[in-house]
Amino acid sequence: MSWSIGHSVYRKDGLEKVTGRAKYTGDHSSKDMLHIKMVVSSYAHAKIKAINTTKALKVSGVRGIVLGQPFPLTGEEIKDRPPIAYDKVRYHGEPVAVVVADTALQAQKAAELIEVTYEPLPVVNSPKNALLPGAPLVHENLAVYERIEHVYPEANTNIADRIKIRKGCMNEGWKASHEMVEASFSFSQSDHMAMETRCVIAEIHPDGCVVFTSATQSPYMIKHLMSDYFNLEDGKIIVKTPLVGGAFGGKVAVQLELIAYMASLAVGGRPVKLVNTREEDMITSPVHIGLDATIKLGATKDGQLTAAEILYMFDTGAYSDKGATISRAAAVTSTGPYHIDNVWCDSLCVYTNHPYVTAYRGFGHSELSFAFERAMDMLAKKLDMNPLELRMKNAILPGQTTPTQIRLNESTVGNLPNCIETLKQQMNWNEGQVIPINDRKVRAKGISCIWKTSTIDSDASSGVILVFNRDGSVNIESGVVEIGMGTKTVLAQMLAEKLKMDVNKIFVKMEIDTQSIPEHWKTVASRGTLMAGRALLKAADDAIVQMKDIASRVLMCSPDELEVGNERVYVRDEPDIYIKVKDICYGYKYPHGYAIGGQVIGRGQYMLRHLTHIDPKTGVGRPGPEYTVAAQGAEIEFDTRDYTYKILKAYSVIDAGIVLNRKLAKGQVMGAMEMGLNFGSSETFVFSEQGEVLNSRLRTYTPFRYGDHPEYVVSFIETPYIESAYGARGLGEHGLIGMPAALANALSVASGMELNRLPLTPEAIWRKKIGVNEY
Amino acid sequence: MISYDFEYFKPSSIDKAISLFQSLDQQGKEPIYFSGGTEIITLGRVNKIKTGAVIDIKEIPECLVLKRESNKLTFGAAQTLNRIRESQYFRFLNKAIGEIADHTARNKITLGGNMCANIIYRETILPLLLTDSQVIIAGPGGLKQLPLNEVFDQTLRLQRGELLIQIMIEEKESELPFLCIKKRRQWDVGYPLMTIAALKKDQQIRFAFSGLCSYPFRNEKMDGSLNNQALPKEARIEEAMRQIPAPVLKDVHGSEDYRRFVFKNTLLDVLDTIGGTEIE
Repeated sequence: MSWSIGHSVYRKDGLEKVTGRAKYTGDHSSKDMLHIKMVVSSYAHAKIKAINTTKALKVSGVRGIVLGQPFPLTGEEIKDRPPIAYDKVRYHGEPVAVVVADTALQAQKAAELIEVTYEPLPVVNSPKNALLPGAPLVHENLAVYERIEHVYPEANTNIADRIKIRKGCMNEGWKASHEMVEASFSFSQSDHMAMETRCVIAEIHPDGCVVFTSATQSPYMIKHLMSDYFNLEDGKIIVKTPLVGGAFGGKVAVQLELIAYMASLAVGGRPVKLVNTREEDMITSPVHIGLDATIKLGATKDGQLTAAEILYMFDTGAYSDKGATISRAAAVTSTGPYHIDNVWCDSLCVYTNHPYVTAYRGFGHSELSFAFERAMDMLAKKLDMNPLELRMKNAILPGQTTPTQIRLNESTVGNLPNCIETLKQQMNWNEGQVIPINDRKVRAKGISCIWKTSTIDSDASSGVILVFNRDGSVNIESGVVEIGMGTKTVLAQMLAEKLKMDVNKIFVKMEIDTQSIPEHWKTVASRGTLMAGRALLKAADDAIVQMKDIASRVLMCSPDELEVGNERVYVRDEPDIYIKVKDICYGYKYPHGYAIGGQVIGRGQYMLRHLTHIDPKTGVGRPGPEYTVAAQGAEIEFDTRDYTYKILKAYSVIDAGIVLNRKLAKGQVMGAMEMGLNFGSSETFVFSEQGEVLNSRLRTYTPFRYGDHPEYVVSFIETPYIESAYGARGLGEHGLIGMPAALANALSVASGMELNRLPLTPEAIWRKKIGVNEY
Repeated sequence: MISYDFEYFKPSSIDKAISLFQSLDQQGKEPIYFSGGTEIITLGRVNKIKTGAVIDIKEIPECLVLKRESNKLTFGAAQTLNRIRESQYFRFLNKAIGEIADHTARNKITLGGNMCANIIYRETILPLLLTDSQVIIAGPGGLKQLPLNEVFDQTLRLQRGELLIQIMIEEKESELPFLCIKKRRQWDVGYPLMTIAALKKDQQIRFAFSGLCSYPFRNEKMDGSLNNQALPKEARIEEAMRQIPAPVLKDVHGSEDYRRFVFKNTLLDVLDTIGGTEIE
């Protein structure tokens, strides 16, 4: 029996949260704090002719107004973005001026009085249009921007990056194929919609220390980027992150911190607070990426895929920030979880005059999966083959290679066929995909298969410190941000397992302080459990060595004859000879007064192994460690007269490696599925012809509400990932990834039409029916 | 946050409210009556409603009446939608109420507030228009009782400073067969693509619409077409659609032609359903 692994242990942050006592960034305030209000652009693309601050400066309590400057330019791969717009605005909602005042009210009053004169410019309103010859340029100076080595912007175009995958020989692939499908797919940008809007407090101390309290997934990246952008000393940047109220990738971006720093600088370093309104959080801060895609697939008569030609044109919006990284992530897994010998993929990160993007749960995968899995269903139809069988036939297996030509094994890829088979049983697939209910309504089912690895920096690392208390209990310090996913509770479970002790005697520090807690690269990419888990095991080993060392001197034996467990250090084959951990974890004091040892402090770190950049010409490389694979489904009731529908059930069968905390895992997957269904069925920004976002409010942007949810059916396959602590695979994002595609496949078969555009509102389906796609 | 300053008053009688309005108006404060406050707060924070003073009517006893007496139902304008719904007096109105906003918001939104709102839907109007309800309006000249159908034209036509106090309907009207169907862009909470309300009386069906055009309405010509037994249902609907009195809306919830498609389908459902007697 395990000590803790696999148990549904209560979350360590649970009581604070359910009693409303948990503190988030916005809950922090101090008497000397000033408040920031942004003025944001009402145009999607315009020259800034003038900014008149005269009236605003007269508002009482105003301490300063900050306008855009030519430098620094910021961005994680290409430095293309001034934190506050300078010279021109490139998206609706972009910050153009920032007011600092004694109260938030005064700041807002003054912000309303700032007069900005714009000269509108032609707007780039979709990736497709951005690539047309003669399209207006979002960035005229793309060629001269500073950038990292592995991004390839194309000068005098709107292409921020192009990632190429070249595997096998396309001619061979087409020659071997008997059937072919080709289709285009698209969806607009949307938003993350975390309950807590983004928020930051910044202060510059007299000694030059810059201290942030930020609702972020990337406290350590803030430190790194601030130092890079503003030439600050690394050690003088301190970031504190309390609990974060939902992030979903949206809090990866470093945006408001830069503005808050500039604002604090303008008022002599006093603490300043910037809280996004919901509207700002939706469009001023970065959003979920959009996509236009074209996919061409070839297969033999019996459904063996022989060739895939893929063009992804991602809508990164006005700035490239994470957009380039997402486009790359989509390229490396561009085919979905299928083995295909011949693959050609161009994945483009395309500038438009839309809000700029950042990570969104799934990081390019729900996006590519929608396109690819729709194409798979279209191919199945053409082959007159059951779509589930087509997937089973091509499911990626150990021994086969990925689009980046990495050979997989059971540990790295898990067991997709098992997922598909389980899904087939759970969905009662054999009853058929469309079941008539009455003369108007049908019940219909759709499926999709997914995979995801994490394409994070190859030198990303995570550190853990374990500090013992006098009673033998342990405190864990890890740089993983608690964004609601429960990783820190799972770390406590791992330590309980490792030290064979009660998980209730393990305490986890929830808040981050970059000055004292070792770095965890970023809390992203479903990597917390793997990276912090491995660091934790190493730290536990370190602590065990220290405990055995002290105990060996008390018990008069060699350390290698000792074991740690049950809060004791004992002789392996004679457990009655022991000393309690509490009697040695602060050193040991002999009866006559001599003392040895000291407080036990375990330290451990982990860095991903053997990852590489991908080759710019062929895409060959090892971009991530293991893959999580899954099969997902949606069951709907569809009205064939008016195209309305209900989602009855949503299914996920995920190869989770080993499930560490069953209820937490199910909760993660269900929440992710819900996001995916919303993205597939309803959530989207509606853009005007001038590129304005017409629905940046929750009144008009509609995710599920209470009562709208389907039944969620979640189950796990367990093929251990040997490299990770206790065999777990990444799980935080995967429930989302296949949902839009499964829903679209169910609706396509129910309506008898190929529905290749999201979101799938009844109007969108009706439009397809009458043959008018745009409105 | 609302960035402008405004004064707040909470008078305890109709007379005080009316005279407060007049004096504040003379001072140029652009006063508005305040009931649940949901709209003033949400539109105030984006400067789409501006005022120098609000007059809260929730302490005026007449505005809080909620009773069934002498074959009449009386609803105070400051009663919340949830309280009205819980009273169970008027099923048709309850159906319309249950589709407005969400439960938490309905704890604040009041009947009078919804009827007089800036929001274009104002769906509580629909059952009240169809059941020939009466409204009690207070003004500088005292109280007056008027048929809602006379004072409602796109909006409730109140004179400056007038205050809606109560809505009254005959109890027997509340027992007539009805339908109230709300269609949305997607899912079951939020603004309508359109709401269609229908009431059957004396073998005639009356219709009222919200979300189809930029204001809720009843239209005699449309009623005439839809009740024209000489025509098949589809033709009746086609004819009614030609009588729509204002441009059909197009916005982020749906395009004009999609609204027409939904309108047609929903009317078909209404005509199919309301033929029977037991309906809801």
